[in-house]
Amino acid sequence: MWIGTLIYGFINSVILALIALGFNLTFGISGVANFAYGAFYILAGYGTWILINTLKIPFVAAIVLAILSTMLIGALLYRVVLLRIRGLVISEVIATFGIGLAILEFFRYLGFIGFEYTLPVFIDGSLSIFGTFVDYQRLLIVGIGCLLALFLWAFTHYTKIGLAFRGIAQEERTALSLGINTDWIAMLSVAFGAGLSALAAITILPLGTISVEGGYDILINALAVCIVGGLGSTGGVILASFLIGYAQMITSTYLGPHWIMIVSLVAILTILAVKPSGLFGKQKELEERI
Amino acid sequence: MGFLVLFLLFIPFSFVCQAAEPIIIGVPTSLGFLEGAEGLNSVNLAVEEINAKGGVTIKGVKHPLKVEAIDIRDAAPGVPVPEALLGIEKLILEKKIKAIVLAPFRSEALLASMDIISKYKVPMLATTAMSPDYSKKILESPEKYKYCFRVCLDAPYLVGYLKGGMEFVNKEFGFKKVFIMHQDVAWARATGNAMAGILKNAGWEVLGQEAYPTGAGDFSAGLMKTRQSGAQVILPIFDMPQSGTLVKQWNTMKIPALLVGFISPLAGPGAWKTFDRKIDGAMNAIFEVGNVPVKKIPKSVAFYEAYKKRYNKEIEAGHCPAPAYDSVYILAEAIEKAGSIDPDAVTAAIEKTDRQGAIGRIRFGKNHQVIFGNDPKETAMACIIQWSKNGARDIVFPESVAEAKIHLPEGLKSAK
Repeated sequence: MWIGTLIYGFINSVILALIALGFNLTFGISGVANFAYGAFYILAGYGTWILINTLKIPFVAAIVLAILSTMLIGALLYRVVLLRIRGLVISEVIATFGIGLAILEFFRYLGFIGFEYTLPVFIDGSLSIFGTFVDYQRLLIVGIGCLLALFLWAFTHYTKIGLAFRGIAQEERTALSLGINTDWIAMLSVAFGAGLSALAAITILPLGTISVEGGYDILINALAVCIVGGLGSTGGVILASFLIGYAQMITSTYLGPHWIMIVSLVAILTILAVKPSGLFGKQKELEERI
Repeated sequence: MGFLVLFLLFIPFSFVCQAAEPIIIGVPTSLGFLEGAEGLNSVNLAVEEINAKGGVTIKGVKHPLKVEAIDIRDAAPGVPVPEALLGIEKLILEKKIKAIVLAPFRSEALLASMDIISKYKVPMLATTAMSPDYSKKILESPEKYKYCFRVCLDAPYLVGYLKGGMEFVNKEFGFKKVFIMHQDVAWARATGNAMAGILKNAGWEVLGQEAYPTGAGDFSAGLMKTRQSGAQVILPIFDMPQSGTLVKQWNTMKIPALLVGFISPLAGPGAWKTFDRKIDGAMNAIFEVGNVPVKKIPKSVAFYEAYKKRYNKEIEAGHCPAPAYDSVYILAEAIEKAGSIDPDAVTAAIEKTDRQGAIGRIRFGKNHQVIFGNDPKETAMACIIQWSKNGARDIVFPESVAEAKIHLPEGLKSAK
């Protein structure tokens, strides 16, 4: 039983990390808390479903199209809305949350309710690991999650755009003085974040069904992980994902699944009381702000 | 010539003046959820059928029915009940509705709405929420809550059907070990707790009972416990979309136990495609016949086919559409019998309802709950379907309407 808990705890943690990485990337670079993140996730899910089932586009092409379209919508969100209110934190939150709400409820309005909406798994079947059956899709999620973390690290260290990302994340005005177009890079960060939410959707949604309510859950999970890990810190997000992921799994196994909901809440409250900037957060501590 | 022109001009106006006032029916529920959306479709279907025949006759005058629907979002997580109730008051006060069908989705909201119904005296025929407390409150204060009725299955009746289904599984295969997994909402908790007690008394070993919060998307812990405990049957009780993950994990984790219960995504014909044709053997309760066509109940087939023809798709929800459809007919019949839209007269007429509907024979008990049983000539009915290898939903229980024999999916062996 404990081996199963270890295995599924690991998978659960990687799923949380996949969910949170995009939100964290956008916030870490541009400082924009994209509350439309959960809606982008669902948008990518339904978008892929429409491409595959209605437009009969091949699976791989549908995935590429869905990710690119979600990135484009993210870029448009920045260009059309966020650019005008950048730096006004409350306005950013209200605007992105409102747009996210509109996207999700629009799908409901269009009649995307019911249980037939699901995405195909990449590889069918399952494998026994020390007596615990795990499906290939979950194993793929683990692989994709690890590859993504490596890719993000390499991207931000060895590519021009990645270095520009880090530049504006460290000090936007200095980056501007060095010729980095900060608005362009911030827009890219929102687009990349949206693209990562789409990637998460395409890999995670085959495990269940797509529903509008899922968008709210994704946003809450992403927020919880980022707050605990420290907003803007990739290392913090990964560590927080494992802390919360394993805490949820152990709680579910040994206390009962109805306690899962409070795991994230307890983690957030604890971190806010002990280290308000999060585990690896570089924002000012509460006492400093006071 | 001038008179003729004036006469012709006034013809349409005179018709408008003479047209009977429509009777407005309110539909306050969670329209963004499958049961709510398909329930509203069914209400509209019944209204269209009745209006096509001229409407409801009151003292010789035909009145058309009109539907006013509002999405009160009570099934969505985090929506406070008082906010959901505002929608009901809006319908009563602004839209001047004469009756409510479908009614709030969640029991929590339905129970809270009872006092509003009592205050404004609007007959209400609920067809989604299943908590037994609704009927209990009506029995405790019959005068106060006389306007409240329920046409759909309630939790105690569901328990009865599940118990029957489990006894049937026991009789056929000798299974006696069960693991219960249910959603952490009022009706599912009540059903899960009742089933645990009943099964224990019936000699079953209840190896575990777990409650999952609405929105939970990982069931691996519960399924591992199921495997470890040696359970032969999993009894799931869920109405959330995420419960589809349970079905997928049950399959991919190769859990050697039969699914017998209610998982909303498993109810409709679309489940075969959703779950990639891997649900052979899973047994699912359909809360009211009509949501699935039952050959021995012709009206259930007629309703199912009419719905398919009108909306160009099959019913996916295992709960709500058929009783929502029947509710409109119950109401129309009661108004005609009462000869008015006076709520007390209509209520008295609803109490005396005795008609064959899509859900079977419809009669109300003293607690204003439609009586369910196993004989469609005597009562309304639920049933249990089993997914077959070819993707058909075979009705396997109750035996009075069964169309196929129960079978074990590949990999599962009988304990007999």
